Amino acid sequence: MTLSTKIALKKNCVYISEFFIFTFLKHDHMSESVITLKNVRKAYQGNPVLEIPFLEVPVGIHWLKGQNGAGKTTCMKVIAGLIPFSGEILLREDISNKYNPVALRKAINYAEAEPLFPAYLTGNDLLALYMNTKGGDKDWINEVATQLGIHAYINFPVSSYSSGMLKKLSLLLAFTGTPQLILLDEPLITIDTAAVETLYGLIREKSEQGVSFIITSHQPIDESVIRLSGVLNVADKTITRN
Amino acid sequence: MRSTTSILDKIFVKRFYLENVGFFLILFYLFFGTVNGANLISYHHALIRGFISSTGFLLIVLGIWTAYAIKCMWFVMKTLHSPGYDFLFSTMGSIPHGERKWHWVRIQTEIYLPVLIYSAVSIFIAVAEHRYIPAAIIAVVNILHCVWPLWLYERKIWKPDTIFFTGYIQQWINKHFIKPPVLFFIYELLTNFPMRIISTKLASTGVLWLTFLLLSRDQAFDLRGLQLGVICCALLHMQLMIHHRAFDDTYLSFMENLPIPLWKIYARLTGIYVLLFLPEILMIIVNAAHATSAVGIATVLITGISLMMVFRCLLYFPKMNTEIHIRYTLSISFVTLFMILAHYEWLAILLLQLAAATLFFSRYRKYEAYIDPDL
Repeated sequence: MTLSTKIALKKNCVYISEFFIFTFLKHDHMSESVITLKNVRKAYQGNPVLEIPFLEVPVGIHWLKGQNGAGKTTCMKVIAGLIPFSGEILLREDISNKYNPVALRKAINYAEAEPLFPAYLTGNDLLALYMNTKGGDKDWINEVATQLGIHAYINFPVSSYSSGMLKKLSLLLAFTGTPQLILLDEPLITIDTAAVETLYGLIREKSEQGVSFIITSHQPIDESVIRLSGVLNVADKTITRN
Repeated sequence: MRSTTSILDKIFVKRFYLENVGFFLILFYLFFGTVNGANLISYHHALIRGFISSTGFLLIVLGIWTAYAIKCMWFVMKTLHSPGYDFLFSTMGSIPHGERKWHWVRIQTEIYLPVLIYSAVSIFIAVAEHRYIPAAIIAVVNILHCVWPLWLYERKIWKPDTIFFTGYIQQWINKHFIKPPVLFFIYELLTNFPMRIISTKLASTGVLWLTFLLLSRDQAFDLRGLQLGVICCALLHMQLMIHHRAFDDTYLSFMENLPIPLWKIYARLTGIYVLLFLPEILMIIVNAAHATSAVGIATVLITGISLMMVFRCLLYFPKMNTEIHIRYTLSISFVTLFMILAHYEWLAILLLQLAAATLFFSRYRKYEAYIDPDL
């Protein structure tokens, strides 16, 4: 093989690879994104924990993976509007945290890994608060509460709940309103197997209606039950898509 | 091996006296420190003779003793409900019925002892002066105060989830009433920190009572005097504001995900402080209605609430600790006071409102609890 042939082949390879990259990027760009993070930076007491120049997460169910302390919960709290940060978050390339903070909160729901509520509030108080602000189908939520077994203790103060009961309530609250994105932080811990099945069913049901999910879990997500659209890796203070 | 009695004494009795050292020191000072040593016995003799000879006075004294008995009972119930004391349910529950009741009565009697000693002296004097009915009333009431909490302690042992005797009322409220967010902090204070809100309210209403007393001695009612009293009341609420911020940081972070516009959150904050200030508002209206105009009263009330709003909004600077907060609140209070003295009270109110709103709307979404790296 002559040198000129080698150069020509190399050029062709570059063209082919560029073609594939272009096609992939084009396809990626065209796939509808549910959430876009632009120059998102988050620091605690001056120490940066998240630095995401640009991230586009397409519609679907995503598994947010990372080691302990990598910044998964911080990332979720940033997207949910729980903690201040610099940068911009766009929902469906339209609703910005800077210009539509209320609309963004209406469209994004979040269930914490270890939910904490004032001890004297009842499940009913919290559900009413979420329904009054986020809205949604009351009958459907009551049905889900029954499926999860929450209705039996909904009038008791949360101080009397076990960690599993509290977790179920937190998950129920994350399904209130008409969200476009639901963030579930370690949803599988502390709940019983029946509740896990119900939760998978809810994710499937909502996903079919176009709702996206970002889920963190150290337990493997059963892909035979819910189809993952992708994996997001949190490492080195940033998030990458697989 | 130590006896059950000594272990229970350590858990309840010793802890009660240790935790209430400050309370007893103040009480001791009021009863024995403020009176000349030479007149101490005659002073207390006269005091006891006063309440055993007057039904009204006796009722007040019995009311104070009842309040102390409730404080004792509250302490035991709180201990049983505290984390780390769960073992008491299994251990106390294993003690035979009669013996357990004896332990409860003994614990209650030992922490109620200061009142028992004083009432025993009162009974002795009453009998010596042939006032048998007051003596009998004092004896019966104090014996009852040693016995009635036993019923609650027993109930708590068999129903550990019962927080207080208001359990049924609480259950009814939980079932029929949805708590609005404006009441969350007040609920927190009333359920978990009742002494904090009661002491603040007692101090604040005490300042107002003194203000009205001093104002009543003057010929003309000077509204500025009342406004000075209200400034002091607002300053007395600083401890509650620091607590309010900590409560929001710890328990209400979930509400940041709710789609609530900033103006509604600001309105809720205003509502919280209006409700907190409600006892003072009522006291001012009742006492000042005959002495000044409705506008005058409104000026005083709005000044108080505006000050509290500014003081609270200052805490949206994460590094604003108690020490720095006191400096700012005192400075703001002095400026407000001078403006009031110069009859610029409405300008002061306008500036306070502007300051509170500016601080809130510029800081709220940027606020994040500060964790001292040195801690």
